[in-house]
Amino acid sequence: MTEFMLNGTPVSSASPEDTPLLWVLRDELDHKGTKFGCGIAQCGACTVHLDGTPTRACVLPLSAVAGRQVTTIEGLASDAGEALKAAWVSEQVPQCGYCQSGQLMTAAALLEANPSPSDDEIVNAMNGNLCRCMAYGRIKAAVKVAAGRGEGQA
Amino acid sequence: MSRLAKPDLSRRRFLAGAVGGSCIMGLGLALPGCSPRSAVESLAAARPDATFAPSLWYEIDGTGAAHIFITKAEMGQHVGTALARIVAEELGAAWSQVRITHVDSHPKWGVMVTGGSWSVHTSFKALSQAGAAGRQLLQAAGAAHLGVPVEACTVADGQVSAGGNSVSFGTLVSAGLPEADLSAEALDALPLKAPEARQLLGKPVAALDIPAKSAGEAVYGLDATLPNMVYAVPLLPPTRYGSVLTRLEDGAAGSVPGFLQTLRIEDPSETIQGWGLVIAESLPAAWKAAEKVVAEWTPGPTAEVDEAALFAEGARLADDPAEGVRVVDHGEIDTVLAGATKTLSAHYRTASALHFTLEPQNALAHFDEAGHCHIHGGNQWQSLILPVLSKALGLAETDITLHQYALGGGYGRRLFGDQMIPAGLAARALGRPVKLVLNREQDSRFDCVRSPSVCRFDAALSAEGEVLGIDHGVAAGWPTLSMAPGFLAPGLNDSGRFDSFSISGADHWYTLPAHRVRAINNPLAQKTFLPGWLRAVGPGWIGWGVESFMDELAHAQGVDPIDFRLARLDGAGPNGGDSPANEGGALRLRAVLEAVRERSGWGRSLPQGSGLGVAVAHGQERGMPTWTACVAEVAVAGDAVSVKKLWQVIDVGTVIDPGGARAQAEGAMLWGLSLALYEGTAFEAGQVRDRNLDRYTPLRMKDVPELDIHFAESTAFPSGLGEPPLIAVAPAIGNAIFAATGKRVRDLPIRLS
Ligand code: FES
Ligand code: FES
Repeated sequence: MTEFMLNGTPVSSASPEDTPLLWVLRDELDHKGTKFGCGIAQCGACTVHLDGTPTRACVLPLSAVAGRQVTTIEGLASDAGEALKAAWVSEQVPQCGYCQSGQLMTAAALLEANPSPSDDEIVNAMNGNLCRCMAYGRIKAAVKVAAGRGEGQA
Repeated sequence: MSRLAKPDLSRRRFLAGAVGGSCIMGLGLALPGCSPRSAVESLAAARPDATFAPSLWYEIDGTGAAHIFITKAEMGQHVGTALARIVAEELGAAWSQVRITHVDSHPKWGVMVTGGSWSVHTSFKALSQAGAAGRQLLQAAGAAHLGVPVEACTVADGQVSAGGNSVSFGTLVSAGLPEADLSAEALDALPLKAPEARQLLGKPVAALDIPAKSAGEAVYGLDATLPNMVYAVPLLPPTRYGSVLTRLEDGAAGSVPGFLQTLRIEDPSETIQGWGLVIAESLPAAWKAAEKVVAEWTPGPTAEVDEAALFAEGARLADDPAEGVRVVDHGEIDTVLAGATKTLSAHYRTASALHFTLEPQNALAHFDEAGHCHIHGGNQWQSLILPVLSKALGLAETDITLHQYALGGGYGRRLFGDQMIPAGLAARALGRPVKLVLNREQDSRFDCVRSPSVCRFDAALSAEGEVLGIDHGVAAGWPTLSMAPGFLAPGLNDSGRFDSFSISGADHWYTLPAHRVRAINNPLAQKTFLPGWLRAVGPGWIGWGVESFMDELAHAQGVDPIDFRLARLDGAGPNGGDSPANEGGALRLRAVLEAVRERSGWGRSLPQGSGLGVAVAHGQERGMPTWTACVAEVAVAGDAVSVKKLWQVIDVGTVIDPGGARAQAEGAMLWGLSLALYEGTAFEAGQVRDRNLDRYTPLRMKDVPELDIHFAESTAFPSGLGEPPLIAVAPAIGNAIFAATGKRVRDLPIRLS
């Protein structure tokens, strides 16, 4: 039995310890906002926060989260997270939307660590998240909008 | 108000609608086991007097909310928003009261297909008329309610108004409206709004599907679940066709917790050949077990085929002027070529390319107690896969329902729902719901690949370099031949039948004294894999050759590539356009080309190693063109090509939704860039070689150049946008590389090494 905190609530899973966290989240704990794209840590669709650090759930064994804090898109409620979700709507970012949970989680970790990133810092942080619809221009613009708002509140 | 009971009824309906709302998340897409359409139908049946349904396409409830039924797939183009706006515009609905519902497959919807950038184009008239019909009836009812003549009333924002008084749609619907069933003639006779009277179309709007997609709440096929379901993962054979599964044993899989069994798939439709399945209680268990089962095949006949063999077969056919169905043929090209002082010939090739939808293919199948088969998953062409499923499952099409979800990328892959077949067969064999999921590598191996292609061009030139005629042979695998042979089109002069989707773009708008286009099926491609429609389809790869070769001809003649094109875009004869959809013809292409020349600063001097290249396109088809002209600025250092900026001017006719249009254009242009420089794979031993992101590498954020996108002002008939802006990008880049380096690239993806 592996116990961890999911979006602030204690949860447990009886799955084998080598089970990728992604499938525990999606199919056992019914948190389906985290997506599966590649399974080899290359697309970012499965990005969650592990103790605040963006992490690829498709290659993260369940054993690695024991006793730790996991945040998914469903629990993304930090100031940066809220600002990003609002900016995603105001900038009309998503196309098919499938990559966007991962994009938002990566962007939230960026803004939590660096509230006013430069363009290059945004691109470096977001480059590992594939958007097959190629909505990159709007993703970048929305991160900037969210960062601006974050500054305003600070 | 005389009928006080009515508002109460409408309130109950509103509450019931809110319950229905729990079944309808975000997009209004079905949650597992809960069909929004049937929820709506049962509500309507309970209180028919509080529902006004003047058309198949929408109904208005007692609160005044207009529920628009969307038969098109949502895959990033915000199609529900675009279509709902067309209805709402003519209906006079308040946009804040518009809801969309993506419907399940049902015969009443007619043909269900989303592709070819057709959605707005093909739905515009019918949805406008449906909206206008509702407006007319509401206006009459409103006039009666207000006690004024019909002509005195205006309809807007969900209100019928006259002389300072108004009544809402909700009140009118609650009070009850007469049944309306307008004939096709009556619909045709309805007056539609003049473009300048439009309130919604052409104005910015927030897409209705975006909030859910910005909160992880949109529901995709992969998210669908049903009680008691099991997971299935495939064991794919060495070839798409003709492999026989000779051995399938549990082996060591029995030791994997959650493993249930293996299953051999026998598909009477022969779409799925040689598959085994591993069934387990979870996906990780199924994948772990799949590594331990024993599966052996006798490979099919194409197990040794590679990309070089596919190209060789394409070139052999394209090089033979006798080969190919004649699609364009005027001016006696054989004679012109034989008599020419000079000729210029070239091969242009494009390598295999993948859809790589970020959501891998999946399907959840289930038989209910009555034996009706339900399949849950995102799909672009329900009307195509239903007959195949009918054959595979031995069921009438009316005994199968496809439940629609958001598509985690379509791009043409989900035009075919072939993965639904093994899911359905397994669900029946096991007697419980089966969720079939392909992993990423399997999704790539099982893709309906964009066929490798070879174009052969032969131009006849006069002594002065004037172009006298062009022969163009185009060889590739044909999606339509495998998946929808009924759609093959007859060629000229009884020269056979051809896949129009694998030749569009060769029938360009340049006026040439002699021109022949030969559409050639590459039979080796057809046998090796299932050729697919990939975003922008034929023009997406045919445009590469056509526009690069135009550039070669311009340079051979020593003429500026834009001047060279303009001289041939004269709108003469058939190139003047022949229908409302392509009115203006080549002159509109000319206009966008002139505009992009201006915007890009064409002709300015650039640093050493940099260059500008141009290309035009008329995607997707001659009968439904979107006119585009693209300029690329590249810098070349050694073998490395860097695209600095892309300009594109687009004439799509009336722009229905400016924000959505721009998003589609951005995505399509970056796809064009990605296919030009970053994507592309090859067949190796009968299989797709590059199957995951370690080797198949679509464009990332750091690769995005500056984009300058401009839409021509137009009130012409609206065309499509999801694909056309892709087409001219690759040839513009290739032509820019020539301008920068003098090196002509003829293979896509572009590799200078
Ligand atoms: S699914 Fe985890 S990075 Fe792609
Ligand atoms: S919006 Fe479709 S993959 Fe990013």
